[in-house]
Amino acid sequence: MEKRKYHRKLWIVFILAGVWACIETTSWAAALESLVPKKGLPQGWTLIQGPQPYNRKTLFEHINGQAELFIQYGFQGSVFAIYQHKERTQNQIEADIYDMGNAVQAFGVFSRFRNEDRPGGFGLDSYLDDHSAFFYKSRYFVLLYAAESNRDTLTHFSRLIASKISDPTPSPKEIGFFPKDGLKPASIQYFPEGLLGKQFLKKGFRGTYPNGEKETHLFLSIFKDSREATNALKLFQEDLSKKGKISPENVIPFGDQAFKGEDPYQGKVIVLQKGFYLLGGVGFEKDEGVIPRLKELLGRIK
Amino acid sequence: MPTRRMDRRKFMKNLSATVLGVAAAPLLRSASFGKSGQGASVEHRTLGKTGLRVTSVSMGVMNCSDPSVLLRAFDLGINFYDTADCYMRGRNEEMVGKTFEGKRTKVFIQTKVHANHEKNMRASVETSLRRLRTDYIDVLVWHGHSSPGEVSDPDLFEFMSKMKKEGKTRFTGFSTHRQMAPLLREAAKSNFHDVALISYNFTHSKDMKEAVALAAQSGIGIVAMKTQAGGYKKEKMGGLSPHQAALKYVLMDRNVSCAVPGVTTIDQIEECAAVMGASFSQRNLNELKQYQSFLQGRICTLCGGCKGECPDEADRSDFLRLAAYHDGYQNDQLVKEVLEGNPRLKNIEPCSGCSSCAVVCRRGLDVRTQVKMAKEIILRS
Repeated sequence: MEKRKYHRKLWIVFILAGVWACIETTSWAAALESLVPKKGLPQGWTLIQGPQPYNRKTLFEHINGQAELFIQYGFQGSVFAIYQHKERTQNQIEADIYDMGNAVQAFGVFSRFRNEDRPGGFGLDSYLDDHSAFFYKSRYFVLLYAAESNRDTLTHFSRLIASKISDPTPSPKEIGFFPKDGLKPASIQYFPEGLLGKQFLKKGFRGTYPNGEKETHLFLSIFKDSREATNALKLFQEDLSKKGKISPENVIPFGDQAFKGEDPYQGKVIVLQKGFYLLGGVGFEKDEGVIPRLKELLGRIK
Repeated sequence: MPTRRMDRRKFMKNLSATVLGVAAAPLLRSASFGKSGQGASVEHRTLGKTGLRVTSVSMGVMNCSDPSVLLRAFDLGINFYDTADCYMRGRNEEMVGKTFEGKRTKVFIQTKVHANHEKNMRASVETSLRRLRTDYIDVLVWHGHSSPGEVSDPDLFEFMSKMKKEGKTRFTGFSTHRQMAPLLREAAKSNFHDVALISYNFTHSKDMKEAVALAAQSGIGIVAMKTQAGGYKKEKMGGLSPHQAALKYVLMDRNVSCAVPGVTTIDQIEECAAVMGASFSQRNLNELKQYQSFLQGRICTLCGGCKGECPDEADRSDFLRLAAYHDGYQNDQLVKEVLEGNPRLKNIEPCSGCSSCAVVCRRGLDVRTQVKMAKEIILRS
């Protein structure tokens, strides 16, 4: 009798768990689909396809191999829709709205897609040209593509979608740490792993500072705690000792938790630790070109 | 006498012995599965009727974010690089072009074009050439075929023929993620395609293997992508990298000309390149197929990549471990040991009841589902 009661309870738990899972999935998809504009469209435009949801398993069917990049950045799900001009049917706009889990990852994907500074004035940061518009806001990365040159309509759709994202989460604070003087516009990128191509650096940001025909990069790698950061600093030092060289020079004014060296692929390197961050510069020619910027970066880390 | 607490390292050690067999583990460790150095052996194979001699381990550039990784691949002798017009809106092609400027004759570049009007496709190819800083592409691949009809599309033939005649590309092909076996069989009937970029790994069926063989025999160069889905945590696998094993498994099929694993770091490309020097018997490789559950993303590999992501610091990794023991390795003795050693794990409610799980698995594992599975295991135990 007791056993039967137990089994009944267990079944109830399973059923409730199933119902809860269904509600969760449905509400998640509904939340994402609600960002697809159906009203207030630009004059003459109509929704002709979608919203079509995609998850981690089906994203490949939609964007082929590029799905890997999104999954690397924490892709949770997406919706796709196509809009068409009622009279000029060749004139279509495709919209993809990706839920990337959080604002850092949404910025990360955005930063990998952006190849020049052409802000469109929507979302937390954006890009706009004649055929495409993309932006990120909160945990969402939004990408629009127009078959015909259509900057105004792309702007209209982008603003419409951005207005539906009410979450006020700001841009990742680390973006603001990078010194602005000399920074190549729109060059700050976020990588969820393998920063500078180095496994031990894990996730972090990189900004580019043109230096004649060459480029200097400042980087900011983020760890769980200062112990992990110290460990990564040691690994960096070991890596340079094996594959490049460590400079015997004292890296004043950065103290003990810092070193200089040369990487066979990145060129000159300065690395230092502050709390759970590792920061540094790579690819510079003279110390004067990087130390003032590193000092500034260091000073901005709170 | 079982230990009261099974730590991860011990678990992995036990696992490698259980799954691979005690005899296989030392054999695998003794093979040159370590990191590739400057003088690592490099294996070349012929890419079908193109005649290009490509490295069996080549490189998928898509996820790569830093030129240093490409330069390291080049130094390791890798000579075939796969990119696409659409990856990061062309930034990926730009990186390849910039990195290999001055080295163009020493590398083979494969990029892609999407089905569209001829004018748009032509513009796409021209843009790719500009980004790649070259006046020719080695292999131009039609991106993402999904039906056999597309493979024999006369419009495709015409456009690709023009690209060859105009010298924009030396060879052409197609890529596919779906219906691969029928597509390969259809492609094998015509003499048109030089290369097929396909998703191919140890999970694929005999039918797929036969289709690959048929296509290869017809002269199509087979480039394998998605050869692996595992992590890079060989130190936690008793010295064996599941990633390398999966890659080697694919390359054991001599119908495959090369594999293009996607890499993001220097460590990863060195690890992949080292596979070219490793040799295994068919028996060992069949045993490696048992790693399938690890590599398919069905269960947690305990890689630790999600550590620290839960804002409430839930014991999620222990829950995932329970699910892995039960579902992946079907070893409830291990489940019992973990539960006996960690009575607090029975308090799974705060984690399983959380509706805003912030934990993201890099390998695409559904963390919530795994936690639910752990809950069921705990309720049953």
